[in-house]
Amino acid sequence: MYVELKHINKHFGNFKASDDVTVGIEKGKLIGLLGPSGSGKTTILRMIAGLEHPDSGEIIIDGKVINDVPASKRGIGFVFQSYALFRYMTVFDNIAFGLKIAKKPANEIKERVHELLELVGLSGLEKRYPSELSGGQRQRVAFARALAPNPQLLLLDEPFAAIDAKVRQELRSWLKGMIQKLGVTSIFVTHDQDEAIEVADEIIITNRGRIEQVGTPYEIYSNPKTAFTASFFGQPSIFKDYTKFRNFESIENIDNAVVRPEFVKVTKKTEVQKYSKSAEEGIVEEVNFRGFGIELRIRVNGVVLTARRSFDEPKVEVGEKVDVFLYQLFVTEGNEARLLKNQSLREPVVVI
Amino acid sequence: MSTVTQSSLHRDTKGSKIVRYSLIGLSLLFVFLMLILPLITVITEAFKQGFAVYSKAVADDYTIKAILLTLEASFFAVAINTVFGLCAAWSLTKFKFKGKKILATLIDLPVTVSPIIAGLIFLLTFGRQSPIFSLLQDADIKIVFAVPGIVLATIFVTFPFISRELIPVLESQGTDEEEAAALMGAKGFTIFRRITFPHIKWAFLYGVVLCAARAMGEFGAVSVISGHLRGKTNTLPLHVEILFNEFQYVPAFAVASILVMLAILILVARSVIEHKGRKK
Ligand SMILES: Nc1ncnc2c1ncn2[C@@H]1O[C@H](COP(=O)(O)OP(=O)(O)OP(=O)(O)O)[C@@H](O)[C@H]1O
Ligand SMILES: [Mg+2]
Repeated sequence: MYVELKHINKHFGNFKASDDVTVGIEKGKLIGLLGPSGSGKTTILRMIAGLEHPDSGEIIIDGKVINDVPASKRGIGFVFQSYALFRYMTVFDNIAFGLKIAKKPANEIKERVHELLELVGLSGLEKRYPSELSGGQRQRVAFARALAPNPQLLLLDEPFAAIDAKVRQELRSWLKGMIQKLGVTSIFVTHDQDEAIEVADEIIITNRGRIEQVGTPYEIYSNPKTAFTASFFGQPSIFKDYTKFRNFESIENIDNAVVRPEFVKVTKKTEVQKYSKSAEEGIVEEVNFRGFGIELRIRVNGVVLTARRSFDEPKVEVGEKVDVFLYQLFVTEGNEARLLKNQSLREPVVVI
Repeated sequence: MSTVTQSSLHRDTKGSKIVRYSLIGLSLLFVFLMLILPLITVITEAFKQGFAVYSKAVADDYTIKAILLTLEASFFAVAINTVFGLCAAWSLTKFKFKGKKILATLIDLPVTVSPIIAGLIFLLTFGRQSPIFSLLQDADIKIVFAVPGIVLATIFVTFPFISRELIPVLESQGTDEEEAAALMGAKGFTIFRRITFPHIKWAFLYGVVLCAARAMGEFGAVSVISGHLRGKTNTLPLHVEILFNEFQYVPAFAVASILVMLAILILVARSVIEHKGRKK
């Protein structure tokens, strides 16, 4: 493990911002720190950088405990959420700042800055001031500035938050490509699940100062270990009593059932239903157009589920009676989550 | 739609022509009566008996001493308050600590306390009645009715000016840029010089100018603690008062005109600084 946090606790006054945080990060990986607002993501990043100090616990980088190493000596690149570009310096001076502090020779600085400007695609803008750049350009300058002294670890706090949706999409893939090319171990904070899934090699889920789960986007998405993770992704429908749905193993003391839209199969009465025996009848309450298709809200067994249908399937009307089949659901007990599959999926399908 | 609401808003808030002209006229009249007329009076009274009498009054030994003392007190007040103002503004905006609110409130005390009271406080603290008076006397330090007292009083009266200008600017800047610089290995003073100072430069100069202006004109606090010893503890404003009380009107106005000119000089400096600051 290149970066390790061991039993980190951090209070702000009485508020516990980090609660026994223990996690390890491999060298060269691009890690997404994902969680709701106020869950302690920035706090973790700032402690790694040395801008905050944990009350207890160890921070280890490259095998060395660095709790007592000041921020200026850790050699970490940091991209602030607000970019924090030096507004009274040109783009060139911004990027050159760290190199000048390190007393590198002037020609070397010049060469490195131009190399970075080229890398981030901002050649020719070196004489501009930050106020004369667009949001996306500022973000690139902040990125170049953090990379200039060749850090072994790059931390990015919500690098895309201040950028509008379209440019954000571009910058995401740009940043991912760039970090892969450079091979620098990176941690980026986000509260956008799509962003984390799309960009990160591995995701760390935070909630209320604790780490909920660590894993690849696929693992976390398809196999949530905690109640929080299970209900964090997608647009889950959450309800108490799942036993009204037939063909699910019944377990004692379950708190909640979590159903994601992709777990729900909706068929019109006129369509062929593969699992007609175990489907339930529901009533369509809402039909909403979405970019990817149609989103439905369906009342079935007293609960409202969100489901999707694609454009090429026959239209469904509000008030229509439809068949609803659940492939699977997550059940939660305390903060544990487990997956239950519809048992009729295991029965041999009788083809007539 | 937005143009409609904007123009009606314009009419509602800015009022009709009559309202506009009468408000502007009233303000101008007020400024003329309260500021311009007295200034003109000071200058004309000063030159009433010709330039020779004027220059004699200005070149008078006591006047020169008073000018020098005023400049000296102002210099110390500005120098010390610069250091204090920077420290206070810095700690109030960049650190969290116990008693922060109290410090912020106390800084403004000199603005709310009457200068006479400020003078009295120093008189009571360092004067004959005070328990530390004998200590000071043993060490041969004179504060009350001496130059150090005047400097102290001037510092007291002017000490919020610089920090008050700096605090809003430092607050709006936040600490991100400084943290970014620190992460790249910059030390405290480099961070201040390269990151923070360019940001607060104009507000800082503005504070210095205000502080200097107030220091030169200070009367109340200084009056209590100075003892009015001509040629020793007389600042310009005190000198004007003495001359006036002795019915030496022309010299009194002549000396006052020096203060007026200093004030105008400072006003010019102020608007230059404001102008430059805004351009940034
Ligand atoms: N300097 C501070 N003083 C007091 N409380 C703080 C401080 N910094 C953070 N907190 C609190 O700690 C909690 C976690 O904050 P943190 O900034 O780490 O959240 P986050 O996960 O980054 O949230 P967001 O997505 O909104 O940026 C929040 O409730 C916040 O109010
Ligand atoms: Mg944050």
